[in-house]
Amino acid sequence: MGVTKEEVESSLKAKLNPSHLEVVDTSGGCGASFVVEIVSEQFEGKRLLERHRMVNAALEEEMKQIHALSIKKAVTPDQWKQQQESNQSNPAA
Amino acid sequence: MQHSLKRRNETDSCFFLSRYRHRSSMATLNLSSLQALSSHRLCSSFPQNTPTPSFNFQLKPSINPRPISLKPYVSEKPRARVVALAVKSLGDTEALAVSPENDGPAGELPSGAGVYAVYDTNGDVQFIGLSRNIAASVAAHWKSVPELCGSVKAGVVDEPDRETLTQAWKSWMEEYIKDSGKVPPGNESGNATWVRQAPKRKPDLRLTPGRRMQLTVPLENLIDGLVKENKVVAFIKGPRSAPLCGFSQRVIAILENEGVDYESVNVLDEEYNYELRETLKKYSNWPTFPQIFVDGELVGGCDILTSMYEKGELASLFKK
Repeated sequence: MGVTKEEVESSLKAKLNPSHLEVVDTSGGCGASFVVEIVSEQFEGKRLLERHRMVNAALEEEMKQIHALSIKKAVTPDQWKQQQESNQSNPAA
Repeated sequence: MQHSLKRRNETDSCFFLSRYRHRSSMATLNLSSLQALSSHRLCSSFPQNTPTPSFNFQLKPSINPRPISLKPYVSEKPRARVVALAVKSLGDTEALAVSPENDGPAGELPSGAGVYAVYDTNGDVQFIGLSRNIAASVAAHWKSVPELCGSVKAGVVDEPDRETLTQAWKSWMEEYIKDSGKVPPGNESGNATWVRQAPKRKPDLRLTPGRRMQLTVPLENLIDGLVKENKVVAFIKGPRSAPLCGFSQRVIAILENEGVDYESVNVLDEEYNYELRETLKKYSNWPTFPQIFVDGELVGGCDILTSMYEKGELASLFKK
């Protein structure tokens, strides 16, 4: 048995203090692969590579059992707000 | 007159007919203007009244061991052209089928130097070329455009210096243009179908000579040198021609779509890239694969590359 979705959420919340977090188990519940979207002030001033490294570091223990981790979104609250407004003004997107 | 005399002297002095195999190098001449052939026609129309014994002897090596004769071969031609010294006319040459059933396209074709004409399955000439190795050239054509290779006529040229090969090619081109009133499609200016194709895919790089060889430098140093000596390096799961996971597949698709020149390393190759996975994770401080390096620095994995691709940031990244 692999990592649970709750464990992933718990580690990310504890270390990155996100204002928004979405974790999806894409391996059908066996905890082998996850998709993550995370919004955190700690990403301020960091380029994309460093943000992904921060997420990887936060999940250091879980990564030993995870086969695939996909970080679809790693943005600051300001970027997140802009994206939300952009989506609202363009419902088709 | 002087040219003709020179040619005859060269013929008389041929005591040994030698042919040699040369590393496959295809020389393709596209017809740029008809003027050259016009001037050539004047020369070629000069009749040779009396064929000498060496002339008859010269033709012998170009006869195929198993000729497929569809019409009687006239051994003596009263008005043979000068270039006929090197090769038979296009019309008098027998066509050989090109098909996989004949042990591949090179089965019955000569591997010597000379001129050749490729016919499609309708019997139309598609391309007239010259080559140092006719069999190898036709094999390359077959691999590239098999639907256009129905049969081939081959004219072997003895003592294949550049001038003789070119003259033989011109004589076949002239003969075809005279009969059909047009240039073969493959020889038209700008047609690149019959030019030798560059290899489609680079081979994956290997870090070591193999498991049985003892490494003299640490693997970290090999990785460091590799990513710094090549502008773009992708460490992927599986070979680039058939990636074994969706993320690596996605990365290869992006790099191919960008048209960037890149190297690839198969981290699952246990013979030549053993222990690479763990070493690379520490080197890059990145836990998963694929990993993409540009200018010696890690760009990231599939997610980051996809994000940059979708935002149109890759072009500037690769141009730095």
